[in-house]
Amino acid sequence: MSASQSAVRSRAEAVQVSRTFDWMILFTLFVTVLGGYHIHYMLTGGDWDFWTDWKDRRLWVTVAPIVSITFPAAVQACLWWRYKLPVGATVSVVALMLGEWINRYMNFWGWTYFPVNFVFPSNLIPGAIVLDVVLMLGNSMTLTAVVGGLAYGLLFYPGNWPVIAPLHVPVEYNGMMMTLADLQGYHYVRTGTPEYIRMVEKGTLRTFGKDVAPVSAFFSGFVSIIIYFLWHFFGRWFAKTDFIADDAS
Amino acid sequence: MKIIKDKVAKLSFVALLITMTAAMFYAPTASAHGEKSQAAFMRMRTIHWFDLNWSKEEVPVNDTMTISGKFLVFAGWPETVDKPEVSFLNIGIPGPVFIRAGSWIGGQLVPRSVSLELGEVYEFKVLLKARRPGDWHVHSMMNVQGGGPIIGPGKWVTITGSMSEFVNPVTTLTGQTIDLETYGLDNVYFWHAVWFAIAIAWLMFWFKRPIFVPRHIAVSTGKADTLISAGDKKVGMLFAVGTMVIVAASMGATNEKYPVTTPLQAGLLRGMKTYQMPEATVSVKVDDATYRVPGRAMQMTLTITNNGDSAVRLGEFNTAGVRFLDPAVHEDETAYPDDLLAEEGLTVSDNSPLAPGETRTVEVTASDAAWEVYRLADLIYDPDSRFAGLLFFWDESGNRQLVTVDAPLIPSFI
Repeated sequence: MSASQSAVRSRAEAVQVSRTFDWMILFTLFVTVLGGYHIHYMLTGGDWDFWTDWKDRRLWVTVAPIVSITFPAAVQACLWWRYKLPVGATVSVVALMLGEWINRYMNFWGWTYFPVNFVFPSNLIPGAIVLDVVLMLGNSMTLTAVVGGLAYGLLFYPGNWPVIAPLHVPVEYNGMMMTLADLQGYHYVRTGTPEYIRMVEKGTLRTFGKDVAPVSAFFSGFVSIIIYFLWHFFGRWFAKTDFIADDAS
Repeated sequence: MKIIKDKVAKLSFVALLITMTAAMFYAPTASAHGEKSQAAFMRMRTIHWFDLNWSKEEVPVNDTMTISGKFLVFAGWPETVDKPEVSFLNIGIPGPVFIRAGSWIGGQLVPRSVSLELGEVYEFKVLLKARRPGDWHVHSMMNVQGGGPIIGPGKWVTITGSMSEFVNPVTTLTGQTIDLETYGLDNVYFWHAVWFAIAIAWLMFWFKRPIFVPRHIAVSTGKADTLISAGDKKVGMLFAVGTMVIVAASMGATNEKYPVTTPLQAGLLRGMKTYQMPEATVSVKVDDATYRVPGRAMQMTLTITNNGDSAVRLGEFNTAGVRFLDPAVHEDETAYPDDLLAEEGLTVSDNSPLAPGETRTVEVTASDAAWEVYRLADLIYDPDSRFAGLLFFWDESGNRQLVTVDAPLIPSFI
């Protein structure tokens, strides 16, 4: 068969091949994002996502959205500007969370026996869906960064609260008050993670009384806007096809 | 010839693959904690653990045991290690095979980091509840910010029973008794399943139609606008609004269900109560100290002065958790780990009772294979080649006093 001949013999076959390609590319994309995003998130969000006694109302709320909006922004850039597919953020986050669940269940519980209720991952899905929808409706990187990025930061804490709140119920333990999450961190010994490594409730945000989570969420949203821009450009740059002749877009 | 070469190469490759695959089936458990690998000077000159007691050697699941004892925060703390201004009393075990049911320094519960003072002795206790069956090496341990983990002596403890029987009941301040081992797990699974389902629904809404090739062609030919229909936008709006409604409603419902929640607790505990050892009336000057590499022995020339009112004898030299005893003066009755105990490892050139007011210069030799086994001999390769340790003297009434030594160490290779 010469190069000028088609690889398919009918339209139906072309559609079938196209769908096969779809699932192959989708699978490859999913697994690649899962791996890259997972490593990135473990290195940058790490302990804040690993342990319930790190999931506080200041730093976790601030750090997790900022470091996790990265891959969604980049994958959105590729899938939206090349394919007009508004699923980049959701695909990324679902891949990340699936990878995290496998890691937490197989490694944290299966190998080292930390209870799953101590090591479950954070929920990033609400922000990702909104990010995708804003991009679809606005068809604008700037709008998505400003509105979607802010929403991504703002939705993080309330999106996780139903799971975290039961662990913030206080307990009196040998004369000290702590939350159940603190007690988990104390009970389930982490030889390599001493208590002072825990970065929680630090900072100078003391003028809002107990209501620091919304302030942290807003701050996180603002920084997420900037990070969104940055990673969106990364995504566009990586999605270029300069390496293919005659298509230097 | 070429065929033979090719066959050899192929078989070699297959053999290599088989070897590598077989290696995967041999993955022995790493039960220790690298205590022997930690720089000797760190173990000798930072935290000195003594009077250690492991209350049990075999514990059924759900039963408890304690590790108790004292530690001296060495006054000659090395410059290369951050001072223990932020420290955490930890326990060296392979993951949560026990849960730490309690830990105390000077009677104060220490779930958080503490500030320790150089030169002071602290009494500690760690209460452990058995969780996972097996044989575990259980160490005392102090984490020091900027210094790393400083691991103390370890002892093998066996946990019997079944982990499935383990329970961890806790009563909250709202009066609810829960099992912390499984508390809230169904709730975690439920909410994550709900959000995964919503996300997958959103993805499948797009993936049910042709994705990459036709869409790329459409975008490339300037027909991108045709790819998002008004219906798509409505569905998108539905997902976005639905997401926000679910988030808001679930948060509201959660606040109603858990009206009392508190922030995570953190902060440094200062002013830990120290333990007052009997004041030492013996003074010791290290005239010189050498480590004889071939003999696995450290020799010290000590000038000892007894300023007390009863005669004393040197009974023990303790460094990095290894105890060298002179059995004529002191014998261990605490079931201290064998590998860390040199019951006859201390020799004193003249260990007759040192009378009050008397000064005597003696040759003290601490010899045992532990120098090599515990890699304390590696001290000679450390950047600050000094040794340190605790000397214990006993008087005729059995009273003990502790004196620290800290001096340069000269290796002897012949």
